[in-house]
Amino acid sequence: MKNILLRATGLMIFVLIIINLFVFISGIVLSDQISNFETKTDNLRKINLSLEKEVANLGSLKFATEQAKKLGFNRLSLPQSLGQLGYAYMPVKNDPSTNSGSY
Amino acid sequence: MTLRQTQGHIERSRNMKIKVIFLFFIFFYLAIIVRLFFLQVIISPTYKDSPYLKTTKINSVRGRIFDRNNQPLVLNQNSYQLHLEPKKINDKDRLIHLLSDSLEVPEASISGRIDMSKDWLAIQGGLTQEQKDNINKLNLKSVGFDYQTKRFYPEASLSAHLLGFLGKNDQSEDVGYLGLEGFYDRDLKGLPGFVETERDILGRPILIGVQQRVEPENGRDLILTVDKTVQEISKKKLLEGLELYKAKKGCVITADPKTMAILALVCLPDYDLEKYYLFSEDYYKNSAISDLFEPGSIFKPLIMAAGLEEKKIKPNDAYNETGQISVGEYNIKTWNDKYEGKISMTRILEKSSNVGMVYIGEKLGNKKIYDYLEKYGFGKNTDIDLQGEVSGYLKPQANWYPIDYSTVTFGQGIAITSIQMIRAFASIINGGYLMRPYLVQKIVSGNKVTEIKPRIERKIIASLTSEIIKKMLISTVENAEAKWDRPKGYKIGGKTGTAQIPIKGHYDPTKTIASFIGFAPASDPKFLTLVVLYEPKTSPWGSETAAPLFFEIAKQLIVYYNISPSQ
Repeated sequence: MKNILLRATGLMIFVLIIINLFVFISGIVLSDQISNFETKTDNLRKINLSLEKEVANLGSLKFATEQAKKLGFNRLSLPQSLGQLGYAYMPVKNDPSTNSGSY
Repeated sequence: MTLRQTQGHIERSRNMKIKVIFLFFIFFYLAIIVRLFFLQVIISPTYKDSPYLKTTKINSVRGRIFDRNNQPLVLNQNSYQLHLEPKKINDKDRLIHLLSDSLEVPEASISGRIDMSKDWLAIQGGLTQEQKDNINKLNLKSVGFDYQTKRFYPEASLSAHLLGFLGKNDQSEDVGYLGLEGFYDRDLKGLPGFVETERDILGRPILIGVQQRVEPENGRDLILTVDKTVQEISKKKLLEGLELYKAKKGCVITADPKTMAILALVCLPDYDLEKYYLFSEDYYKNSAISDLFEPGSIFKPLIMAAGLEEKKIKPNDAYNETGQISVGEYNIKTWNDKYEGKISMTRILEKSSNVGMVYIGEKLGNKKIYDYLEKYGFGKNTDIDLQGEVSGYLKPQANWYPIDYSTVTFGQGIAITSIQMIRAFASIINGGYLMRPYLVQKIVSGNKVTEIKPRIERKIIASLTSEIIKKMLISTVENAEAKWDRPKGYKIGGKTGTAQIPIKGHYDPTKTIASFIGFAPASDPKFLTLVVLYEPKTSPWGSETAAPLFFEIAKQLIVYYNISPSQ
């Protein structure tokens, strides 16, 4: 009886040590994961802010003005309005009715 | 000694040893219990000093600011603060030289900040990721970085006075100053959170230890009534106007007259929001809400509307404009000292007759004039949601002299702000409602959106009076003494103003404040714009400076709002 009790106690202590080791190692692994996720979350937040900045820059009037200058948009390159239809109108030669068009 | 005696002695000695060891253990465990009690109960509040317990503040992210079309005006961006640990510095001169090159700051400036007796020193904030990476490549042991966020303005200083800036208080905390940053500081700031964790020697969290996390409440985003395109048009045209007319400074305010939602508010000169510290405090002041001025003739329609509302005059009533008039020891004349004889009330506005306005003032009566000034909200804040507004001062009626009642009818002798002027003017063309001007239409906190509705302060004049005064103002533009390059086919109402500047109790004839206030389309005004130019040099008159500038802005706004011609 005494032997059984001693063995059971020993076994229990052994199991507890194993569980303890398992919990300890799991704790370390989880802690590492938490640290990694914290770092990744921080990085994502920083990347997010950088991307937000880039998107805002691309949509800004400042950028549009720079691009307009770069691409040569100015008053000379404005599209022709209806008031200047003459540019799209080709008069037929010797037709007096079309000679009044200005272009 | 017998054997029995010897055995008894040994047994007593053994018992004594066991008792001593027992007492030792009892004492040992008692000491542990007392120590634990001391640690866990008596000094437990100071457990925060534990080297394993780390409390980290989680800074809330400051709210962003967008225009009415959700285009960003203020965002946050990554930034780093460079710090030094002076005790780890090996070669101070080399360090200063390298940092000076990387930060583009004079060596003397960095050298002046280094105090070798300190453990930690903040050297410079606002560094970009690129700058940080470049300094890291130098492999300097004594240098470290702290992560921060800083404000980023995609449209640069397009709305400097309107937005305000983010500075520091005496505890080095971020605080919004002036404009929207100042007014909505508490909403934008949010609440910081914190994490409290027990960590091992490598900094990893100990799971069975203390773990507490209080999430920060990020700042709220503001959605403005301002349209950045209207803001851009206003700023561009104002800048051109200041250069063309050689004015000292100027403001343009554009609002929806029905709601007093501000569509654009620009004052020049302004300042660089990202480098606000390089400018003197004079530049921070938003003239539209902080500078008082005598409005001059743009004030006349307000008195005219009061006269119509009180049925003291009708648009076609005749007034005999014969010449200068005397009030006490003062003579009042028209701007060009020319008089047309019998003229209608509408003509008084068209030719901006001061003597005609004094006549209307007399018909209205002193008490009514004062009552209407109060009704229009002069002498009180408009409560616009911007930090830095001044109310001006409407002196008590008991202190008014007879000349004051006369001059106020044509906008002299009263000091108001531009925002007060445009609000009062909006009330006479929107059906008679005095509205609270506002800039923020939505406050967004996560998924919760709080809408800010237009607020009616009071009704001042009847809708019919408002329609009459609108027609008079259209006629004023069409038949004014000056002819402008107006957008063809559009009915536009408005009034010019030229006010002299009082200096030491006298008016300086060489210095004026030129202004124009106008709206379009007149039948259903989409926008109301006030242009104010301080001390224009090319001409002192509002009709030759502020008015052409207004029409330049109006032309672009008509195209932008796709307003069809009405004539």
